[in-house]
Amino acid sequence: MAQYAIRRVVLNFFVLWLVATLVFLAIRVLPGNYATQQFAGLNLGGVTPEAIAQAERTLGLDKSIPEQYVEFMTDTITLDLGESFRTKQSVWSELGDALPYSLELGMLVVLVGFSVAIPVGVISAVKQDRLPDYALRGLAITALAAPVFWTASIAVIFVLKWDLFKIDVANQPHLWEDPKGAIQWYLIPMFAGGFASTASTMRLLRSELLEVLRQDYVRTARAKGLAERTVIIRHAMRNAFLPVLTVMGLTFATLISSQIVLESMFNIPGVGRMLFQSIFIRDYPLFQGLVIITTFVIVFTNLAVDLLYGFMDPRVRLS
Amino acid sequence: MQDTASPVLTVPESRRLSVPGVSWFTGFARKKPIGAVALVVVVLLVLIAVFAPFIARYDPNFVFEEVNPDYKTSPTLAELAANPDIGSRLVVNGLEGPSWEHWFGTTRSGHDIYARVIHGSRLSLIVGLGASAIAVSLGLVVGVASGFYRGAFDIVSQRLVDALQAFPGLVLLLLLVQVSEPSVRNTVFAMGVIGVPTTTRIIRSSTLVVQSTDYIEAARAIGATNFRILFRHILPNIVSVVLIAFSIGIGAYIIFEATISFLGVGPRGVVSWGKMVNEGRANLELHPWLTVFAGSAIALVVIAFNFLGDAVRDVLDPRLRGT
Repeated sequence: MAQYAIRRVVLNFFVLWLVATLVFLAIRVLPGNYATQQFAGLNLGGVTPEAIAQAERTLGLDKSIPEQYVEFMTDTITLDLGESFRTKQSVWSELGDALPYSLELGMLVVLVGFSVAIPVGVISAVKQDRLPDYALRGLAITALAAPVFWTASIAVIFVLKWDLFKIDVANQPHLWEDPKGAIQWYLIPMFAGGFASTASTMRLLRSELLEVLRQDYVRTARAKGLAERTVIIRHAMRNAFLPVLTVMGLTFATLISSQIVLESMFNIPGVGRMLFQSIFIRDYPLFQGLVIITTFVIVFTNLAVDLLYGFMDPRVRLS
Repeated sequence: MQDTASPVLTVPESRRLSVPGVSWFTGFARKKPIGAVALVVVVLLVLIAVFAPFIARYDPNFVFEEVNPDYKTSPTLAELAANPDIGSRLVVNGLEGPSWEHWFGTTRSGHDIYARVIHGSRLSLIVGLGASAIAVSLGLVVGVASGFYRGAFDIVSQRLVDALQAFPGLVLLLLLVQVSEPSVRNTVFAMGVIGVPTTTRIIRSSTLVVQSTDYIEAARAIGATNFRILFRHILPNIVSVVLIAFSIGIGAYIIFEATISFLGVGPRGVVSWGKMVNEGRANLELHPWLTVFAGSAIALVVIAFNFLGDAVRDVLDPRLRGT
């Protein structure tokens, strides 16, 4: 177990190094850099090549790619992710501003997703191949098919038409600052994102539960006269729920950086939107830093979930 | 008389008028009714995409204009400030609701929404089929190679797969699309590449399963070459997995394209449903038609492809049913 964990940690750092290198190269392959992008936006005519060269020098972009790479790697190892080109703030403090928003939205999305997926998955498995199963599975596929931005747009139409509540995208309150305002702001994105994540979880829970319900110990539980409710909740769910928990952890880890659409639509200054913008203005340090941190979270959540799995389910042997 | 007497030449009654495709379809429809409906929708979509100019009624880029009722030959500055269009004889016939001339209404810039929804099917279809085909064929090469030959290539390729999978897909796509001009071809290629880690994983693991079977060992024992084992034994046995991966992926790629077009970084110069949903957002309250129709088109097409993918999976690999 300890050996396995150590090997996985080493492997994770190798993957992180690969990602860091890929990110470093990928953002530099894009045409232009921060200096040229800024001047292209101004389009003043008075921009001389010297001015661009000067700007590149102050940003450290005049150095050769290998030089930049060595510098980037040594800085990253010492956990120095540099400063954003645009705001001149350290990447860590930029992340500190954006992360709470992404965490809030991510938590709410997971909350909605799983409070729909779990009952639906259970009903669908218990009533296998009967009407509720078909209806709920059909609904799940439909939810998977509707793009998040579309469900959110439709929801906005109805909220505006019937004047249900005020969607204030200017204030950007945190949940702990202004709970009511924040919930009104997050309400549509959390349901749109939650429904979209329901389908895969629900299908996973259904197939796991079907597998477990066929096993002997469930038959024994039924034979000794336990109520069906107890059999499912106390006996079957315990084993069927583990894989779902795995997915839950991973969904949450990826949600932090993947809510680009919802964050852009509702003006949520989270990590996803920051990543998206950093690509367009070629803010190398910000982009690199954000991807490295989010990848770190994902690979180590992955590891934690796997270890937890081995711990909670003795049948799983980690090797 | 002689013909009916000879049993060799008689054709069974039920077989006499059958067209091969039709009998296959009725069989499929009996087994998978929802899958059959989805197949019909997909076929209709293909027909719509191919014959779009005949179905669309108008050119999707034609700007509809109407005579300006407020037209004045020499407006004063104050009048111009109040109504900038006052000096032009024709104005764009934009933001109309559904009518007999414009079934789905018109956009802000005076395009016919119905025509644009019909033409938008082309991009979605090209992107869905193209990207899924690229992802599956590249995944097939890498997956089979690393599952069959193992060793250093397997270790390196699998760590690369890990790295790419840990990367947010949308971010990777935004990067790839920006490298060169965002044309349809580049978008399809970029999306296909992003799908490769997933398809590689699936195909590699089924290669490993096939490889550990007894008949592969038997083939080796009688001295079959690697080449022969690969092409005669392994590939035929993972065809179903490849087809499943291909059909399941299509819907996801269609959503993927719609998403980047919605964010404003999709392929340029083509009609895209995702872009239309975004254009409609500016006038959502008064004129929801653009968003509603384009978004419904995406949802309908993706639902059809997803159900079809599910049916394909159930038919080809019953063990995976309901997963």
